[in-house]
Amino acid sequence: MPDAYLEVRGLTKLYRSGRGLHGIDLALPRGAIVALQGPNGSGKSTLLRCLAGLATYRGEIRLAGRRLDRSPASRARIGFLPQAPAFPAEATVGEVLGLFARLRGAEPDGGLPPGFLPPADERIGALSEGQRHRVGLAVALLGDPDLLLLDEPLANLDEEGRRTVRDVLRARCDRGATAIVSSPSPTELGAVADVLVRLDGGRVVGREAFPADDPDPDALGVPR
Amino acid sequence: MTRAVAAVAAWEYRLAARARWVLAMGVAFALLAAAVTVLALGTVRGLGSTGIGPAGAALVNLGVLLPSLMGLLLGAGSFAGERDHGVLTMLLAQPVRPSRVVVGAFLGLAGSLWTTLAIGYGAALVLLSAVARAEDVPALAALVGATFAVAASGVAVGAAVAAWSGGRLQALAISTALWILLALGFDLALAALAPSVHLGPGGLLVGVLLNPLEAGRVLALLGTDLQGTALGPFGAYLLARFGAGGAVALLAADLVAWVVGPLALASRALARRDL
Repeated sequence: MPDAYLEVRGLTKLYRSGRGLHGIDLALPRGAIVALQGPNGSGKSTLLRCLAGLATYRGEIRLAGRRLDRSPASRARIGFLPQAPAFPAEATVGEVLGLFARLRGAEPDGGLPPGFLPPADERIGALSEGQRHRVGLAVALLGDPDLLLLDEPLANLDEEGRRTVRDVLRARCDRGATAIVSSPSPTELGAVADVLVRLDGGRVVGREAFPADDPDPDALGVPR
Repeated sequence: MTRAVAAVAAWEYRLAARARWVLAMGVAFALLAAAVTVLALGTVRGLGSTGIGPAGAALVNLGVLLPSLMGLLLGAGSFAGERDHGVLTMLLAQPVRPSRVVVGAFLGLAGSLWTTLAIGYGAALVLLSAVARAEDVPALAALVGATFAVAASGVAVGAAVAAWSGGRLQALAISTALWILLALGFDLALAALAPSVHLGPGGLLVGVLLNPLEAGRVLALLGTDLQGTALGPFGAYLLARFGAGGAVALLAADLVAWVVGPLALASRALARRDL
């Protein structure tokens, strides 16, 4: 199997309840959009948090051969969108994007098309859930990260917003980023997903190229 | 100061300055400071003394007790609230060390609290300016400095409590209990222990250094009275052992340690725990 861009080996994260991740192994190519699918509690969000360096775990994660850990250097390579992005209600959209752009040393629009984000002077507390999600997505895209970890980025978006997100993801991944996108539905990402990884009970229970013309199926180690 | 520390500090300062309860605490402090000053000035006039006299000393207790509580609640509430709501997760997902986030948040919160306290003291200083003499300026500066230092240690301790606690309510409850212990319990315990275990002035000094509120109070009183008479035999011991400058430096260093230590603990907690 050719060298994978993102390698996950034996990733284990156990909670006291016994739930968590049980020895996840993944090998994903550069430029792929990976749809992470599974029922509630299957470990999708936990996997994304471990990859983002926000949770402790056993095992190893490598991106382009370099180990990912909780250091700033690792986090600079990752853009993370949690399931429910949270910002202080009193802050404005412009202040939120300004802060995170300064932390990343990036431009504060996340490369999203005009009109996708709420006005800069709008207070977060006045935004709908979908609009807050858009701000969270812009934060995740700041600074052109190598690895995008997006927890249900299409939730609460209208069809136009979903199309925009799909287009932005495709464009980013065509430029070399890899995206892992959790989704409750295997079809939600539509034609842009290259790989589908199914999780259940904290284990990988299936992988398939999705749709058939993924960029480098051999690197996935999955049958076509 | 790094870019990340400055960015987080500016962000926290703006948010704290907009919080209604911070504003309410600032108004309460201003009203209390003005009321204490008016009452103390009445005593000054009644005694026929000149200068700010007992008015400065009367502000010492207010300047230690209320700002330390404000700092603890601000530090604990803000940190734990940001963690509970996921804002801290968003911050720590960025390429920035947890210690930088902690220091930036501390500077922003302490800065907003200092602004609030400065406005509160402003009301008292306007009243005091009618009787203040040039030689009163160092005493007032010591009072304000000690107040700011105690408030900063409160923010730092509150942040550490929040970083290690399970949630915002728990952090606020622990911080309030800690303040009651430091403001009241510690003195009572020292008073009870001192005679029975022959604590002596050296033991009392250790007790003072272990309590930032007490260290701030002694620092402010030393500033208002460099002969140490307001502190009784303990003041005489401090001046004989360390001299006025040495005692002030020791207490100031202790308060700095009460900021640095808790911030280090908070950073350690954030670097290790799951978010």
